[in-house]
Amino acid sequence: MKRMVAALAVAVLGLAACGEASSPAVPGASKKADVLAGAPVAAAADILPGSTMEKIKKRGELIVGGSLDAPLLSQQNPVTGEIEGFDADLGKALATYIIGEPKVKIVNSASETREALLANGTVDVVFQTYTITPERAEQVSFAGPYYTSGLTIAVKKGTTGITKPEDLNGKKVLAGANTPAIPAIKKLAPQAEIITFGSDPECMQALKQDRGVAYVQDETLLVANAQKDPSIEIVTKPFTADPYGIGLKHGDEDFKKFLNTWLKKSQDAGVWQRIWKNSIGTVVTGDAPAPPQIGSVPGS
Amino acid sequence: MSVLFDHLPELWRGLIVTLQLTAASFAGAAVLAVLVTALRVSPVRVLRAIGTAYVEAFQNLPLLVLLVLAVFGLPEIGIQAGLLTTAIVVIAVYEAAYLAEALRSGVNAVSKGQGEAARAIGLTFSQSLRHVILPQALRTVVQPIGNIFIATAMNTSLAAAVGVVDLTAAANRVNLTEAQPIPIFVGAGLAYALIAACAGFVTGRLERRLVILR
Repeated sequence: MKRMVAALAVAVLGLAACGEASSPAVPGASKKADVLAGAPVAAAADILPGSTMEKIKKRGELIVGGSLDAPLLSQQNPVTGEIEGFDADLGKALATYIIGEPKVKIVNSASETREALLANGTVDVVFQTYTITPERAEQVSFAGPYYTSGLTIAVKKGTTGITKPEDLNGKKVLAGANTPAIPAIKKLAPQAEIITFGSDPECMQALKQDRGVAYVQDETLLVANAQKDPSIEIVTKPFTADPYGIGLKHGDEDFKKFLNTWLKKSQDAGVWQRIWKNSIGTVVTGDAPAPPQIGSVPGS
Repeated sequence: MSVLFDHLPELWRGLIVTLQLTAASFAGAAVLAVLVTALRVSPVRVLRAIGTAYVEAFQNLPLLVLLVLAVFGLPEIGIQAGLLTTAIVVIAVYEAAYLAEALRSGVNAVSKGQGEAARAIGLTFSQSLRHVILPQALRTVVQPIGNIFIATAMNTSLAAAVGVVDLTAAANRVNLTEAQPIPIFVGAGLAYALIAACAGFVTGRLERRLVILR
């Protein structure tokens, strides 16, 4: 249904664009096509008969478990209905690889439902800052890692005494509910009191209202926040390395191999780098980093 | 199953917070509800209007909206309390609207003659409410009050969305590291069911003991 609405919105906007010479209201529309230009498409021989990829190709649509509210990673644009960001565009690139066109349906999953959605086949893959851990690898399989990120600490400007994660002991610390920040804080600062809110804007608001003295979150998100809001500052370099993997049904070895091949091909073709530049690269300066080695972390 | 036992201390702390939220907010709601009911049945038109406005306002706003407004909105105008306190107050205010309606139905169940008789022997409005009407009204609505208590216990889980680490939030955090949602949330669900079952048992006993035979 959502996809239909999105398709309709795009069609209407497309028609409107035909009428006018230029359409500044939809700056993302043409950019998206560029990002996926030259994205690799699998050879017919790679789509093994009876495999998961054949099922997806026959269905004509890739079903991805993801977020709709993660800035820069997977966020629905309220104007176009399109879902934009690093994770979302990788999903589109994968759909292009399997089906030949970027047909993706995103099922809004949460960290408490991802394993179940994969196990019962509701979604084909999960692209949702899904950190690869040995515990999770017992429930699902991971292709990748496709990106490495790290947690860092933001405070209100002028706060003193917080320069490393251990300084958070005995203090009130904000974190996003269901983010890897919670176990990381527990490990490095066991005496910290962790206060969680569902979304990033809520955590930011809570930081500014002194509900906590520090906010631990993914570096990418905090960099974007600090750029928008000069009243906060980032006080550490990333102190963890979280490898994000593509979640898939546990034990589906053929599909995992297929996904790793796709990932390698997209990185070689520069598609991965372009997607990075178009999303995370809009707030982080410099070129795209070197992608992490596939299969390099325990659990992948 | 072992994930539940490995994380029992965290889940237990969450359960304690859930019980605190339930008990404190229900107690607050009970006091407020009696006041609102008194307003709704009072002989003064303005007071009745205030009571009606209260009930209509809080029955027609989702609890989550109220919680988010109180946690993030009130600090903007300089009112800021701890998260647990804020959650207790908001849930109490919200549930009071429902409780007041249950109480009012109890008041309406007391026959008119009782109120007339109370006035005839010279009791004031508040005296007749305290000594004649409310004691009888409460006895007829034990079961609905029990239901609202259970609803309050279930509604406390929304506090997890505004940073209170209750049973729901604790279960979420355990699941984040263990990735086994089914045993963890079934376990948490059983704890909620146990709270509801206890409440049901107590209201059943109370109702049998307090029933008015007419």
